[in-house]
Amino acid sequence: MKETLLLYMILFPAAFGALAFILPSKSRKRGLPAALLLGNAVNLGLNIYAYGQESAFSRSWGGFGIDFSLRLYNFSGFILICAAALSFFVAFYTVSLSKDKDYNRFLYTGMLFTSALVNGAVLADNLVVMLFFWEAILATMFIMIMAGGKKSYKTSVKAVIIAGITDLCMMMGIGLTGYLAKTLDMQQIHLPLNSWGLAAFILLTVGAVSKAGSMPFHTWIPDAADDAPTPFMPFMPGCLEKLLGIYLLSRICMDLFEFEHGSPMSYALMTLGVCTILFAVMMALIQRDFKRLLSYHAVSQVGYMILGVGTGLPVGIVGAVFHMLNNAVYKCCLFLTAGAVEKQTGTTNLNKLGGLGKKMPVTMICFLVSAASIAGFPMTNGFFSKELIFDGAIESGIIFYIIAAIGAFFTPISFLKLGHAAFFGKPTKKTEKVKEAPWPMLAPMLAMSVFCLALGFGNSFVINRVLQPVLHIEEHITGHTNWLLVGISAGLLLLAALDHFRGFKKTGKGIESADHYHHAPVLRTVYNMAEKKYFDPYEVSTGLIKNYGNISLKINDGISWFYDVFIVGAVEKLSGLLKRAHNGNQARYVIWILGGVVVIALLFLIK
Amino acid sequence: MTDTFLLLLTIFAPLSGAFLLPLAGRASSRLRGALAFIFVLIPFALSAVMLPAALSGNPPSMKTSLPFGLSFGFMADGLAVFMALVSSFLGMVIVIYSYGYISHSENQSEYYMFVVMFIGAMMGITLTTDLIFLYIFWEISAVCCWRLIGFFREKEFVRRADKAFLITGGGALLMLGGFLTVYQQYGTTDLTVLKGREISSVAVTLILFGILSKSATLPFHSWIADAGVAPSPVTALLHAAVLVKIGVYVFTRLFAVNFSMAEIWHTAVPVIAAVSALLSAGAALRENDIKRIIAYSTVSQIGFILLGLSVGGELALAGGLLYIMMHAISKAGLFLCAGIVEHSCHTKDIREMGGLAKTMPFTAAAFFLCAFSVMGVPPFGGFFSKYMVVNGAVEAGSPWIAAVFLFAAVMTILYLLRVFAKVFLGNPRKELKPKEGSRVMVGSVVFLAALSIISGLVIYYPAEFVQQIVGQIMQK
Repeated sequence: MKETLLLYMILFPAAFGALAFILPSKSRKRGLPAALLLGNAVNLGLNIYAYGQESAFSRSWGGFGIDFSLRLYNFSGFILICAAALSFFVAFYTVSLSKDKDYNRFLYTGMLFTSALVNGAVLADNLVVMLFFWEAILATMFIMIMAGGKKSYKTSVKAVIIAGITDLCMMMGIGLTGYLAKTLDMQQIHLPLNSWGLAAFILLTVGAVSKAGSMPFHTWIPDAADDAPTPFMPFMPGCLEKLLGIYLLSRICMDLFEFEHGSPMSYALMTLGVCTILFAVMMALIQRDFKRLLSYHAVSQVGYMILGVGTGLPVGIVGAVFHMLNNAVYKCCLFLTAGAVEKQTGTTNLNKLGGLGKKMPVTMICFLVSAASIAGFPMTNGFFSKELIFDGAIESGIIFYIIAAIGAFFTPISFLKLGHAAFFGKPTKKTEKVKEAPWPMLAPMLAMSVFCLALGFGNSFVINRVLQPVLHIEEHITGHTNWLLVGISAGLLLLAALDHFRGFKKTGKGIESADHYHHAPVLRTVYNMAEKKYFDPYEVSTGLIKNYGNISLKINDGISWFYDVFIVGAVEKLSGLLKRAHNGNQARYVIWILGGVVVIALLFLIK
Repeated sequence: MTDTFLLLLTIFAPLSGAFLLPLAGRASSRLRGALAFIFVLIPFALSAVMLPAALSGNPPSMKTSLPFGLSFGFMADGLAVFMALVSSFLGMVIVIYSYGYISHSENQSEYYMFVVMFIGAMMGITLTTDLIFLYIFWEISAVCCWRLIGFFREKEFVRRADKAFLITGGGALLMLGGFLTVYQQYGTTDLTVLKGREISSVAVTLILFGILSKSATLPFHSWIADAGVAPSPVTALLHAAVLVKIGVYVFTRLFAVNFSMAEIWHTAVPVIAAVSALLSAGAALRENDIKRIIAYSTVSQIGFILLGLSVGGELALAGGLLYIMMHAISKAGLFLCAGIVEHSCHTKDIREMGGLAKTMPFTAAAFFLCAFSVMGVPPFGGFFSKYMVVNGAVEAGSPWIAAVFLFAAVMTILYLLRVFAKVFLGNPRKELKPKEGSRVMVGSVVFLAALSIISGLVIYYPAEFVQQIVGQIMQK
C-alpha cells in the first residue's frame, strides 16, 4: 500500500474542513452539509480501505528525534475505522438536526478538522507527532463549543483550560519519556516504572484519561451538554474523545511502559476507574436534564474502561477496548435520541417532557435498546464488555468489583428514571403535538441500535477475531465465563427495576423515582456540596488562581512603586540636600573646599 | 570587500537612511512611507543574501583594529543572521501596519525616523563583534525607544518614556561596567579574540543587569507595562518583536557563544526566569488593560526564552531560539490586534469590551490564532518552541524548573483565553460602535496569524535553520 495514503487520511478531512470554512455565505446553506457529509464519507472510505493493512510513513520534521512518522497497523486501523464510522453517522444526523443553524459553519469546520486530527493522533508513531495532533484538538474543541451561542464561551474556556492543563502534563511526560528512552519513536519505547519513569507514566496517563473524560477532569462535560451545539456531545465526549483516550491509555500500559498486573500503578488506575464509575453515576442519578444526565454517564462509563485497562490482565484490557467500542456506539445513539427529542420538543428538561413514546416511537425504541446496552442488559453489547471487565476486576481485588457492581446497579436506575420521565407518563404541553423525528435523524439512531445488538450477539466474533488479534492477546477469552458474576449482574438489574418501581410508586412521577437517593441523609449534604461545585477542581482552583494573580499583581505594583515613587523620591531628597548644601554662602564653599583637600590628602597618605 | 560592503550596508542603510525620512516627509508622506519600508527591507534582503554563507561555517565578516584593544568589526554568523532576519522582517510588517495606524497622527516623520533607526541599531547589535560598539548600538536603540514611547507627548506618556529609558539605560551602564571588567581582565573588547574565555562572576552579574533590564525581566520589567502608551505598532515592535529580544540575543551571543560562565549561572538564570515568568503571568491574569496584559505576557514569555538559552543543552538552546522567532511573530500579531481594537473602541479596558468578534471578525480570528500560538498549542509554531524549551530543561537535568514553567504555561492559557473571551466573545456592548480596522492593518495581523500557523506546519524549515545555528554554537 502506498505510504502517502496515511497522509491523505489526515489531509482529506482537513481539506473539507477548510472548504467548509471558506465557503461564501451564499452557498453555505447547501455547501456546508455537502462538505460535512462528503468529508466524512471520504474519511470513512479511506479508513475502510486502509483497515487490515500495515504501512508506515516517515519524514524528518522538527529535528531532535521529532520525525513526522505515521504508522498504520491493526490497532490504529481498528480505532480509526470506529472513529470514522461513528463520525459519519453523527455527521449524517447533524446535517438534519442543525439545518440552517447559525453555528453550522464553525461546527462543521470544527468537526471535519477534528476528524483529521484524530486520524493524525492515532496514526502517529512519534510521541511528539501524536501530541501535535492530540493537543491541536484544543483549538477545534474551543471553536465547536463556542459555536453553541453567546453564553457558551465560558464552557469553551473551561474545556480548553482543563484539557490544556492535562495536555501540558502530557507534553512534560513525553519529554521525560523521550529523554529516558533516548527516542521518541513509539515502537521502540518500553520503559520500566521506576523514579522518573513513573513520573513519565503518570503524566502521560493524566493526558490519556482526561481526554477520555475521567474524573477529576470531567467537569466541563456536563457544562458542554448545556451550552455546546447538540451534535458536539455525541461527536466528542460521546465518541471520539473516548476512543482517543482509551487508545492512548492502552498504548501506555501495553507498549510504552512495563505496566503489570498487581503493580502499585495498576491499583492506582483501578482506583481512579472505580471512583469515576461510582461518583459520576451518582451525579447522573439526580440530573433533571436529558443531555446532562447522559453526560455524567459519558464520564461514568470511562471508569469501566480505565478499570479494565488498569487490571493489566488480558481479559480486562480486551474488556476495556470492547467497552470503548460499545460505549461509543450506545452513547452516541443515546445522545442522538436526546438531540431528536430536543429538536422535536424544543427542550431536554425532563420536567417538561413526558409521554413521548407514543409520539416518537422509533426514537423510543432506539433509546430503549441503547439504554439497555449501557445498563448491561444480557445479550446487549454493554453486557459482554462489562462482564469481561468484572472478570478482570474480581481477579485484581474484590473491592474493585464491588464498587464497579454498585455503579452497575445505579446505571439502570438512572436510565429507568430518564426513560420513564421522557417517553412514558402523561404528555406535557411541550410534548402534546410532537411528531417523530425526520428519517435522516432516525436512520443513524437505528443503525447504532442495530449495532448494539449485533455487537452483543456477535460478541465472541468481535472478541476473538477482531480485538484479540488487534491487541495481540492470544489467551482465549469469552464474554460470559463466570456464571456467578452474570447471575449477580442480572440480580442487580432486577433490583434496580424494583427500586425504580418503588420510587415511582412513592412519588407518582418517573422523574422523581430516584429522589430517595438525592434526599438520603448523608447523600443530601454531599449532593448539595456537589451542586455548589465544591468538588469541581476547576471552580475551586479558579478562586485560588485569582488570589495568586492578585498577589502577583501586588508584587508587580510594589516593584513599580520602587521605581516610580521610591527612586524618584530618593533622588529628589538627595538633590534637595545637595541644593541646600550649595546655597551661595561663600564661607560654606570654603569649608567644602578645605574638607575636600583634607580627604584627598588622607587618601594619598593611606596609599 | 563584498563582505564589508554587505555588512556595513545592512547596518548603516537604516541607521543613516533614517535621517533622510524627515526630509522625504517634507516632499510627500507617500515617499516617506515607501523609503521607510525600503530602509527596513534592505537589511532584511541583505541578511537573506548573507544567509547561505552564514550557515556555511565561513561567515561574512570584517574587522578594523582600533587602539586600546578595541575593534570595529562585524560578523554575520548563523545566530546573527537569524536574529537580523526575524527583527527586520517584523520591522517591515510593522512599518506597513503603521501606514494605517499612524496616518492621522502628528510628527509622523519623527515616528518613521526612529522606527527605522531602531532597526538599524538592532542590526548593529546583532552583527557587531566588539563589546563597546555593542554598547553604542544598544544605547541608540534605547534613545529610539525613549522617543517612540513618548511619541504622543502627553505629560504622563513622557514620564513613562523616561522611566523606560532610565531603567534600561541604568542597566546598560552596569553592563558597560561589566564590559570594562572584561576589558580589565583581558585587555580587549573584541569578541572574536575573547572567544571561549571564562569571565568573572562580577562581570557576568553586571552584564546580566543590562540584559535583564532590556529584556524586561523581573525585577527590571516594570517599564514595559507602562510603555503601553506608545503607538501600537511601536509596542509591537519594541515589546514583542525586537527590543526585548535584544537582551536575550546578547545573552546568547555572550554566554552561549562567546564566554564561558560558572556552572551556577546555568541554575541561577533559569530561576530568575522562572520567577519572572510566574509573577508576570499572575499579573497578566488580573490586569484589565489589554496592552498591559500583553506586556506582562511578554515578560512571562521572555522567561521561557531565557530558560531555553540559559539552562544548557542543544534542545533547550534550539527551543529558545525558535521561541524568539515564534513569539516575535505571534506576540507582534497580538499587539497589533490590540491596536486595532483600541483604535476602534477608544478604550483599552477589557471590561468595557465584549462581542467584538461579530463586528471585527478578521481581527478576532487573527487574535485567536496568535493567542493559541503563544499558548503553545499545535499546529501553531509556538507549540514546538514551548515543547523544546520545557523538555530541553528536562534533558538538561532541571525537571523541577521545567515543572514550574509548565505552571507558567497553564497561566498563559488562562490569561490569553480570558482576554479573548472578554474582548471578542459574549454580548456586544451597545455603547461601543466598533468597526473593523483599515485594510492594511487587518491585512498585517492576518498575515502574522497565518504565519503563526504556517510556521508550525512547516516546522522543518525553521527547525532545520535553528539546528544549524545550534550546531555552529556548539562547535565553539
